[in-house]
Amino acid sequence: MSSSSTPEPPGKDAARIALDEVEEAEAVLEQRPPRDEGALGEGSGNGRGSGWVTAALAAPGMIWIGFYLVAPLVIIVLVSFWTWTDAGFDRTFTTANYSELFHDRTYWDNMLSTVITSVIAVVACLILGFPVAYFLALKVQSLRWQIALFIIALAPFWTSFLTRAIAWTFPLMGREGALNQMLVKLHIISEPIPEFGFSTLSVRLAMIQLYILFMITPLFFTLAQVDRSAIEAARDLGANWWGTFREVVLPQTMPGIVIGSIFIFVLTMGDYGTVATVGGGNITSVGTLIYSKIGAVQYPQGAASAVLLVVALMVGVWVITRLSNLREDL
Amino acid sequence: MEEQGSDSGGAAGAAPPTGQSGLDLIGLTKVFPGGTVAVDDVNLHVDHGEYVVLLGPSGCGKTTTLRMIGGHEFPSQGAILLDGESLVGLPPHKRPTTTVFQHFALFPHRTTLQNVEFGLKMHGVGKGERRETAMKALEMVGLVPLADRKPSELSGGQQQRVALARVLVTKPKALLLDEPLGDLDRLLQLRMRVELRNLQRQLGLMFIHVTHNQEEALSMADRIVVMNDARIQQVADPLTIATKPATEVVARFMGDNNILRGVVTAQEGDRLIVEDEAEHLRFSVRSSEARPVGSTAMIAIRAAAVTVEANGASDGPNSAECEIVFVEFLGDLVKLHLVAGSERMLAKVGAEHYPALRGREGEKIRISWKEEDVQLLDA
Repeated sequence: MSSSSTPEPPGKDAARIALDEVEEAEAVLEQRPPRDEGALGEGSGNGRGSGWVTAALAAPGMIWIGFYLVAPLVIIVLVSFWTWTDAGFDRTFTTANYSELFHDRTYWDNMLSTVITSVIAVVACLILGFPVAYFLALKVQSLRWQIALFIIALAPFWTSFLTRAIAWTFPLMGREGALNQMLVKLHIISEPIPEFGFSTLSVRLAMIQLYILFMITPLFFTLAQVDRSAIEAARDLGANWWGTFREVVLPQTMPGIVIGSIFIFVLTMGDYGTVATVGGGNITSVGTLIYSKIGAVQYPQGAASAVLLVVALMVGVWVITRLSNLREDL
Repeated sequence: MEEQGSDSGGAAGAAPPTGQSGLDLIGLTKVFPGGTVAVDDVNLHVDHGEYVVLLGPSGCGKTTTLRMIGGHEFPSQGAILLDGESLVGLPPHKRPTTTVFQHFALFPHRTTLQNVEFGLKMHGVGKGERRETAMKALEMVGLVPLADRKPSELSGGQQQRVALARVLVTKPKALLLDEPLGDLDRLLQLRMRVELRNLQRQLGLMFIHVTHNQEEALSMADRIVVMNDARIQQVADPLTIATKPATEVVARFMGDNNILRGVVTAQEGDRLIVEDEAEHLRFSVRSSEARPVGSTAMIAIRAAAVTVEANGASDGPNSAECEIVFVEFLGDLVKLHLVAGSERMLAKVGAEHYPALRGREGEKIRISWKEEDVQLLDA
């Protein structure tokens, strides 16, 4: 390998770019007169009107968020402090709804199992979704194929949520469902597994399948933005596949991981439909508890449960952003 | 087509080629799926310490050749040997080569220092040592004060220097540069040519530089490899490439050449007389190879070798009466666009001739050139 003609390791001290010259050249370039902003006319830049333009542009969004998000939340918080009556509620301030809830063992058991379900869903979607997004974004070379395969990956979304959820219950899962029958026929198991019926396991499996696209999509878009030549540069500088992945790909994918995790966490925490259908009424979650309270016209109790769910969501989102130091990457 | 060119001009610290030392490309060929031949039977030897520029229009195969040396593309055929050992089959991270990529390819989420450290980290160098080495490299390129900045906070020239420091810390045997100056402003490009070449001389490293810019190649290279259409057209030192293009393609690509097709009308010893088809222009040229009278011949004369005669006196070969089509003033020189019969001619003369030439479009003028400036192109 080493032959006598190989040059000595570079004598770094000897080699020194004559920087003053380069700096000088750059300084000259940077001193180019700035474009005349005034020539563009009013409205842009620092004019007094720009505040109004910004406000006008933001207004529709603000109204939307105010009407559909802030106002309902405020109402729910208000209702959660009102007194429950047979007719619904009256506007007498009380903290009884919350103190009742804090001592409600069932509610906290459900909160715990819902959080566990959500964490499992986030982790499973990340582990299962990452290879798919990685393949689509970095291994598929032609843009046309990329888009085609991505649309195929989105195909389950073309059917309604309920159809998909029900498809999970009877045909696929269940004691006599396709999954059990297949495993028995293949002699992988001798007896049908009862957990494939209405069970927590079924609910969790169904959730992973139903929501995984909310992970794949942001991952795909962030991975597609990773500079391929940076990946080549890493390989070139001596990184093997794992080194390249860990040092170059993963850090640049962090925003996608965070956004996907928040999607999955929020969606599964609040999920009511999957639990109700795939769980077949045997399984409860915070979502189904709230639903049954509303069904029983216990609006203040339902509102208090919902407020605590929102608090739990906020804590969860905060933990996710902390874990990833999103702010640093943005 | 073309074997190795003439000896390189003064590569610093390079040992003479022993047949084993240096980089050898042997019959290197790349056929892309779909049948496009990107690189066709390229043979080249590069010595350690030599600065070689691969020059050609886009799509000529120069970048693919470079990527095959770096391991980012696998050859369909042929061999790549570095100091006698085959590189084919080795992934990029196992090759003693590193690449400066076209758009620098810095890691956007890492600081300048972390970018430079990267190669050492991947080679398992301890934290203290790699920090020290990286800081030395940053000192070399003058970026110590910016060690904690992210690439997005650096100017183009600074990013370029980070990219250089990042590859140099890995102590490659050959540095591959893919259009390294392409992203820089023109003024900075001119400065970086000099700096890059000085750096290479001081390091005594083999640099292989890809560009489509003729001027850049001429100003930086020990040896230029002109490529076109997947093949090597000519390998020679910059002076030879500029003044003695071997083929029509090279003559056209280098620009400002008068390229004319004619017929050999006479041969006296090693002197050929070539006339263009309209029998308006006559050239005499010395040629070591015999060309039969009546055969067609392509000749090239640099525009800069064409001079303007004060008076239309001589009427021998290597001079012609032309009509001035356009006088183009370029600051330090004047380009004269001329027509001789049916042939367009281009002459480049010093700016001092401009006052005498200004506004003379449509008039006749006599031009001439020296016999040694007439270049007979390969048939």
